[in-house]
Order: sequence, then C-alpha cells, then structure tokens
Amino acid sequence: MSVRSFHSVYMAGTVAAAALGCYLVSLRVASERAALEGVETRIVQTQSDIRMLQTEIGTRGRLDQLEQWNASALSLSAPAANQFVEDSFQLAKLAAPDHHLEVKAPVIMASAPAPATQPVLGNDQSDQTAVTTSQDSPQQLVHEASLKIEPRETPEVEAIVSPAAARNKPAPKPLVSKPAQPKSKPEPAAAAAAKAAPKKTPRLSIASAHTETKSVKLAEADPLAPLPYGKAHAAHSQQFRDSDRRK
Amino acid sequence: MNAPTAALVAPRPERLRLVGQRRQILSMMHQRLMLGMLLYAGIVAIIALRLVYLAAFGVHAGEQGGVPALIPDRGDIIDRDGEPLARTINAWSIAIHPDKVIGDKLTLAGKLAQVMPERSEADYFAMLKSGKPFVYLQRRASPDLVQAVNAIGEPGIEIQREPVRLYPQTTLAAHVIGFTNIDGHGAYGIERAFDNQLSDPARRGAPVQLSISMKVQQALEHELSDAMTHFSAIGAAGVVMDVHTGEVLAMTSLPAMNPNAPGQVTPDQMFNRATQGVYELGSTFKPFTLAMAMDSGIVRSFGQMYPCPKELPAYGHTVHDTEPYGRPCSVAEIMKNSSNIGMAQIADQIGAARQQAWLKKMGFLSPVAIELKERGRPLTPRTWGPFETMTVGFGQGIAVAPLQLAMGYATLFDGGVYHPPTILKIGPNHPLPPGRRVFTADTSYRMRSLLRLVVTMGTGRKADAPGYRVGGKTGTAQKVINGRYSQSVNITSFAGVFPMDDPRYVMVMMLDSPKAMPETFGFTTAAWNIGPAFGRTVSRIAPMLGVEPDMNREPDMSEVLPYVQGAQQTTKKD
Repeated sequence: MSVRSFHSVYMAGTVAAAALGCYLVSLRVASERAALEGVETRIVQTQSDIRMLQTEIGTRGRLDQLEQWNASALSLSAPAANQFVEDSFQLAKLAAPDHHLEVKAPVIMASAPAPATQPVLGNDQSDQTAVTTSQDSPQQLVHEASLKIEPRETPEVEAIVSPAAARNKPAPKPLVSKPAQPKSKPEPAAAAAAKAAPKKTPRLSIASAHTETKSVKLAEADPLAPLPYGKAHAAHSQQFRDSDRRK
Repeated sequence: MNAPTAALVAPRPERLRLVGQRRQILSMMHQRLMLGMLLYAGIVAIIALRLVYLAAFGVHAGEQGGVPALIPDRGDIIDRDGEPLARTINAWSIAIHPDKVIGDKLTLAGKLAQVMPERSEADYFAMLKSGKPFVYLQRRASPDLVQAVNAIGEPGIEIQREPVRLYPQTTLAAHVIGFTNIDGHGAYGIERAFDNQLSDPARRGAPVQLSISMKVQQALEHELSDAMTHFSAIGAAGVVMDVHTGEVLAMTSLPAMNPNAPGQVTPDQMFNRATQGVYELGSTFKPFTLAMAMDSGIVRSFGQMYPCPKELPAYGHTVHDTEPYGRPCSVAEIMKNSSNIGMAQIADQIGAARQQAWLKKMGFLSPVAIELKERGRPLTPRTWGPFETMTVGFGQGIAVAPLQLAMGYATLFDGGVYHPPTILKIGPNHPLPPGRRVFTADTSYRMRSLLRLVVTMGTGRKADAPGYRVGGKTGTAQKVINGRYSQSVNITSFAGVFPMDDPRYVMVMMLDSPKAMPETFGFTTAAWNIGPAFGRTVSRIAPMLGVEPDMNREPDMSEVLPYVQGAQQTTKKD
C-alpha cells in the first residue's frame, strides 16, 4: 500500500538519478575534451615557440655571418677538383702505404744457402732435410718453396704451380728455401715432428718448415703491392702470393 | 443547544450577493494564480531547458574557442631546400597614449630619452605635451628595451605584440624576395608578385617555395661582391640557372639592400640589375648569332672561312677588332678570339628579318618572362638596317637583362629548347611547362665544343674552373654615357655553362664599370675582371649542385680544334 503510494516518488528519483548520471557522463566528456584542447593548444604554442627559436638561430647563423666567420677565423675554402675521389678504390689507394723494397729479407735469404748445408751438427733436423732436398734438383726445390703443410693440399696443385716458377728462374729457389732455417730454429716442436717422420713423408715435413718461415716473412711484404721489378723478384713474389692464397 | 431558527439560517440577500461576489473573486484569483504559476513554471522550464542545452552542447568554462592552427599572419617564403627566407614573427612594439599619461611628463620624457636615445628629452616632452591619442615609440623593439620601458611603470605606455616580416638571411637574395610595406603587403619582389597568395588565409599556411638555393646564392653574392669591391665597380649582377628546367637557382644584384629595413634602401640599391637593368652585353651575344647562322644553313662547319681584315668598312661605318687577325679565319677562330669583323659578316648573311625572327623566338624582344614584376624591357635598334644587323650580331645596339642572357644560354644548351625562366621550384605544385624548340639539337650539341674552346684557348681562359669543364663567352661592352659610347667605361660580363660535356647549369655574371687594376695590366675587359671571379664561383657552387669534377672529361673537341690555326696560347682580350 505504502509502496504503491511512493511509486511516483521512486520513479521521479530514478529519473533524476538517470538524468544526473547522463549529465555526469556529459560533464566528463566535456572536461576530457577541454583537456585535449588544452594539450592541442600547448602543442601549437610549442610549435610556435620552436618556430621562433628556429628563426632566431637561423638569423644569428645566417650564411652571411658564417661567411664572415669563415673569412676571419676558419679560412675554409671550396675543395679543389683533385680533392674528389671517384670510387672506393681511389680512396683506398690514398691510404695504401708507400711500397718500398724489403732490404732485410733478401739479405737473409742470400746468405742462407751456405750456412744451411753446414749446420748438420745443429739440433734442427727440419733445416737439415730442407737443405738436402734443396740440393736434389731445381724442380724439387720449387716444390718445397710452394708447399703447404695443410693436409688438404694435394700434390697435383703443387705440381702445377711449381713448374711455372721453375721455368722462370731456377736460381731463386735456394733463396726461398733459406729463410726456413732461421725461423724453424725457435720451434723445437715442429722440428721434432719433422724428425719423427722425415722418411715417411719427407716433402710434407719440409713443407711445414717452409710454410712457417714464409708466413712470418709475408707479414712484412705488401701483398697488394705491384710486382717487383726483375724476373727474380717476380718469381719470388709469385711464390709469396701462392702461399698467401693457400693460407 | 438551540435549534437554529429559519430566520437566522436564511441568508440575507446582501449576504447572498456577497457570497456570489466572493466566489467570483476567488475563481478569478485562482485563474490569476494559475496564470502566474504557469508563467513561473514556464520561466523555470525555459531556464532548465537552457541549462540542459548548455550542459549538453554549450561552451564550458575554460574552452578556448577552437584550437588555433599554426597559420602565420603572412605565408612563409622558403628556398628550394626548405630554408626560410621570409617569415612573419610577433615582435614587440612600444607605443604611448600622451593624453592618458598620469605621471610627471618631464620626468617621463627624461626616462624615455634614457632608454631610447634616438630622440632627445625635449622631443619626448614635446610629444607628451602634444595631447595626441597614440604615438609609436618603437616598433620591432628588442626584449631588453621592452623590459626597460615596462620598468618605467607609466600606465600611458602601451606595450603590444604585432606581426612583423623578418628576413633571416638579411641581404641574401633580397632583390628576389623583396619586402613588404608598413601595412604588411608586398611592395617588391616575390612579396609583391605573390602578395595575394601570401596573405590569403586559405593559402598562406603553405609556404611559397622558390627555386633559389640559399647556398648557391650566398656563394654567387660573395664572389660577385668581392669582384665588385676589388675592381671598384658601381654595380654587379649574377644569375645561375638550371639549363633543363629554367629554374633560377640564384639571382643577385649589387649593391645589396636590406629588406629588414626597407625604409633605408636607396633607389640605386633597389634597382634589380639582373631583371630590371638592360645592358648591351657585347660578345656574349655572339654564340646566338652563330647558332642562328648554323640553323639557317649559312655556317655548315666550324672550318668555314671568312676574310678577317684589320678593319671592315660596312654600310658607311667601320667595324673594328681589338686584336684583328688580318688574314682569313675560320668560324672557330672568330669565336675563339671574339672577332667582331668575322661575326658581323655572318650576321650580315643572316639578314635583319631572320635575325629579328630568331630573337623573337628566343624571347629577346619582350620583357623577360619571370614571375617578378620588376622587369626591364629590352632595347633594340629603332631602325633595324643592315648595319644594325651586324652590330646586333656581335652584341651591340641591343640591350637585354642579364637574366635574359642566361635564359638564352639555357635555351642554346638545353638541346635548343626554350623553357621560360621561373623563380618557383619545379615540382608537384609547379610542374615544368612544356618547352619550345628554338635551335636544333645538332646545333646545340656542336656549340658545346666551340664555347669550351673559348675557355681552353680563347678569351675566357681565366674563367676556367679545373675539372668542371666550363664553357662560355666573355663580353665587354662600352657603356653609353651621355648618349655616346665611352672608350674607357665598360660593362663586362661572362656567360658560361658547366659541365660542358653535358650542360646542366648556366651562369651569367656582370660587372658595371670596373676599374683597371695593376694585375689586369690596365685592361678593363671581361677576361681580366669578371673571368677569374666566374671561375672561382664555379669551383665553389659546382660541388653543391652535384657536378662531379673530372680532369679527364671534355666535350668532343675534334669538332673545332682542326680549324684553329696553331694551338699557341695567346692572351686575348675580349
């Protein structure tokens, strides 16, 4: 009974609450919108400030001013035509070291053949074998010079390379074989290995000594440098390059 | 209780009448009350509805009436790389309302004179006593000054912000950009030519992009101004153009003006020598005459011979050469040493009518086609007889603007196709207009080696920039002073194209009345003054324009070299 009589009041309350809720939502939306607009306004203001600062910086650093500073302090000038490089190769060429002949290495080589035969008494077996092989025949010497210790190296490849070098110059071979001595000395392990298997695979052991020697020398030579003048040098460098490639 | 008597109960007639009246009054009052209530209810309802409406759609507190977009009061002008050349900023202005000044006027005048010493204390006092409603004390005031004036604390002083036009690069390309007047409307240059676009609210948001390259412009202006100072010239002009599109990459006129202070610009500074000034540009005209002759079938080979006597009498006048050959000479030699005598004969063969038709086709008989409004009208001979044809053939008797000359060279080396010069960047907003063929492509190609020859062996050797294959032509014209050709005052110019094996840019530089210097051995000809400046400018701007220097490339010189007697390098003047 009483509930019924209050029905209209409840209805009115509900409607009022709903209206209030709707209003609150609308208010909330409006305030969000206002905040968004505030942010947008700030963005525009900041952009305007940035523009102002850019203008100021641009005005202070105008080209005319830079030119004056350049004239008074920096003295920079436009690059001349010859200061431009066309490609990376030209650029690399500018940085390449001056090619100069290694005087030291050839001297060692030249003196090497004679001592190599004598130090039979020396404890270095690999040297000894090297010397003996070098005395066998010019062709074999060439083999040694271009040999590598790597097991994947096949004798065929060596054979192909060596005749070319041999044809060029038989004389320089001792030169190449020589350097083996000074270098192999400080390596007793390699020597021992060579000693252990000199009979079974004489060429390989010799090669091991040679490669090591050569590798040390190669570091000093410029692999990209043009061929040295003279046939002897040509053959020499060819061998260097061969071994280099194999490495 | 006593039973009521009938007499007592029965109402008296008056009373009955009263009851009827009362009822009437009551009902009227009810009606009135109802009316009043309805009225109030209506008002309340209106207010409530209004409130609801406002809550839903109304403007709330703190709303800023729409977000202001970043649209400047006047459109920006930018260069081809987007660097600003003209901008509108808000600057401070200081004004005073003399009739609203509260404090002691004498003291105020003293304080004003202290912070703004441009005017004396007496001046300020007179201003304050004048009783005027409004006087500007300073426009474009610096923030420091504004602070100082604000510290005076006089309520009659008004400090406000107003938009002003600022040119950040000051004098750079001033003749192209121009300036605005005090009302903010364009008064010169681009500001004037594009005033509608720059001030239209719908379009001013997007900047006007020029074809000018700021860096190239600076290099050109600097080198030209160096040459002008060095040779004490009274003026100079320079133009750099893209051969293929006709875009003007740089254009300058000296003496320079400062558009930030247009009030201080003198008429001489305001004169745009590159477009308004028309000059007889002398021998720089000769390549056109030769190209006309080649296209008309008069000159078929650079080896064609012409008699080149020491002087050539023609139509009652005599044509002279600075260094006459005195022997028959080939067309290549005529160009190499810039022989007036040889070129006069070629022009004579072309004839006046054909020459005029060619010049019209090249756009040399009408004001130069550029967007700027400061344009000069070319001067042509009043009577175009056979002798005038000869003089026009070697560049005398016809006066054109330097920009026009650059346009002519661009036409000649863009395969013979004419594109109207433009100051706006060619792009999506401003597409390249269709060209118009003037010369044949073959003539255009063959001219390359000829103009390269002028620079490698002829009069333009000092204009060479190693590696950039410059080709061009010197020009020295005597200046007309009081109606007569002066023998000592010259206008020297150099029109050149680079790189000559594939022409991309044309540059014209001009000096007005250069003086002789010790290192020029007394000469005031183009080879000595503008030539070296041209070479320096090319070596500076070519790398910026992406022209790669190459010492091993040259145009096909076998076209001309066989026809040049001896390869001896002799110093030649124009």
